[in-house]
Amino acid sequence: MKASVNNAWVISALLVLSIISLISAASFGAANLSFADVVNVLLHNTLDIGKVSGIAERIIIELRFPRVLLAFIAGAGLSIAGSVLQTVTRNPLADPYLFGISSGASFGAVMVLTLFGGSGLLASSGLFSGLSLFAGADLLDTLEWFSLPLGAFIGAGLSVLMVLSLCGRTMSSQIERMLLSGVAISFMFGALTSLLLYFSSPQAAASVLFWSLGSFAKASWEGLILPAIVVSGATVIILLFKRQIMAMRAGDETAHTLGVNVGRLRLQMLLLCSLITAILVANCGGIGFVGLMIPHTVRMLFPGSFSLMTTALFGGLFMVWVDVLARSLLSHQELPVGIITAVIGSVFFLAILGRKN
Amino acid sequence: MPEVTPSKNAVLMVKGLTWLADRREILSDIHFSLPEGKMLGIIGPNGAGKSSLLRCLYRYIKPHSGSITLFGEDISILSAKEFAKQVAVVLQDTPHHFDLTTEQLVAIGLTPHKGPFEVTNASDREIVSDALAKVGLCHKAKQAYEHLSGGEKQRALIARAIVQRPKLLILDEPTNHLDIRYQIQILELLRSLSISVITSIHDLNLASALCDQLLLLDSGKAISHGTPSEVLTEQRIGEVFGVCCKVEVHPQHGNPQISYFYGYDNLSAGDKDHEG
Repeated sequence: MKASVNNAWVISALLVLSIISLISAASFGAANLSFADVVNVLLHNTLDIGKVSGIAERIIIELRFPRVLLAFIAGAGLSIAGSVLQTVTRNPLADPYLFGISSGASFGAVMVLTLFGGSGLLASSGLFSGLSLFAGADLLDTLEWFSLPLGAFIGAGLSVLMVLSLCGRTMSSQIERMLLSGVAISFMFGALTSLLLYFSSPQAAASVLFWSLGSFAKASWEGLILPAIVVSGATVIILLFKRQIMAMRAGDETAHTLGVNVGRLRLQMLLLCSLITAILVANCGGIGFVGLMIPHTVRMLFPGSFSLMTTALFGGLFMVWVDVLARSLLSHQELPVGIITAVIGSVFFLAILGRKN
Repeated sequence: MPEVTPSKNAVLMVKGLTWLADRREILSDIHFSLPEGKMLGIIGPNGAGKSSLLRCLYRYIKPHSGSITLFGEDISILSAKEFAKQVAVVLQDTPHHFDLTTEQLVAIGLTPHKGPFEVTNASDREIVSDALAKVGLCHKAKQAYEHLSGGEKQRALIARAIVQRPKLLILDEPTNHLDIRYQIQILELLRSLSISVITSIHDLNLASALCDQLLLLDSGKAISHGTPSEVLTEQRIGEVFGVCCKVEVHPQHGNPQISYFYGYDNLSAGDKDHEG
């Protein structure tokens, strides 16, 4: 089959590109390092070959690699979640945040910030720790680093559970109920977040804003473990169901006649995608537009050889380079990733739309 | 209605099937059976319950009473996958944003035959290309399904059902929106597959020409079941469809050939049309 050959080619090309990107992306940043430096450090670190400077090694291994990898995982995870949700809800506008996850996560984050925040903590760390890669980690910082993702995750989980409990198992009305309850829950958590922010300090508000725009600045090897496990685990499970998901594209009733338990599969997929999204939102903030745009872009760029793996790799690649831009566009400061994804994403998207027309 | 003679090798046997929606009987006490390898046409006016009956047969809706057996086994005890391996269904609608190629759509028919860890192998690909060849769409395999003509789309959907390798094929008005050439082509294609077929169909002359058996529904009741010449009589067509007609023997196939008469009082004809 030509399509599958094409597909294999696209995936291998993207894989090679991803590996090169991961290495070269690690060479960008405040300290001046080259592609060769990164390769040397990698070789030294894994195979114990050659000699490298200790500082370069520390920067690359402890700071840049976790960050680049987190960006890749986040991009891949959000793209897969978006793609699967668009398919199972048969809604081209579905994205991982559609079901109230981001507002739930924001609410959780704001709760944490206002509960633990008080005064000094937020002013000193909340606002600036995200901006500065090398922020010194004091005890309060650590508390916030830990509790903010946790709060966000709990908030995200809460909103998903509410959507799941409201949408029911009947096939016919499920999508509609999912979307409507997602919107309602989004608004509810949005209102609660606004209320909390209204009564909190301006610093807390700024901190929440920065968090909600997304950043990979806090990446560490330890922080990478959970997102990596969740995203890869969920992706494997989704891939095992790829035929059923494909069948759902032909309509609920047709999928039913192909032996797919449509109602149950849709709930399972929503749960998996939500898990991916919640863990990513908790770790990197609300990075918008990727989950919506990447699946469409892949579909338009590789018509006929669309697959989940292509989408995942493409999303990961995109995010790695967006993060490079975030680090290097401004000299002493970082831009939030979410702003760049939205700007690049929308322009790119419009360009493709225009070309296809 | 004439008593159904339960043949020994019945693919499907329906007894006392009743289904209610909002406490209204949409299907009431329907009996029929389908002998192996035959093509059964389900006819009747709009709202007679044709689609509902088919939906009961492919388990999309659950009947309130009665039994449906497939090769002697109650269909409600089969797993979704087992059922899909035996019964394939072609429906009228395909959703929007359907950006698969014809070949990909046809390959969806593999779904019930594949476990989560199984990849599409060479023999699966052969099944897909054989099915495409059977419906004459090999040259359109790489084209987007959306860009096919109405008749080609219908044939692609039938190819998908063929890939499912069913023992029974159910179709919901497969000839809808097609011109007469395609209508005949689709039904003759179904006959050539040598599997048992149940299809709902609007055009009585087409049903008469190409179905082995007909089941006439009206307001959820089975009015008549039998060969086209048994079912399609002037009186019955007049009662059920509210039209006057003349039934003759078709010069080629020998089954009933219906000529309709025109000039009705619009209101009463309209009434009949929207009943039940």
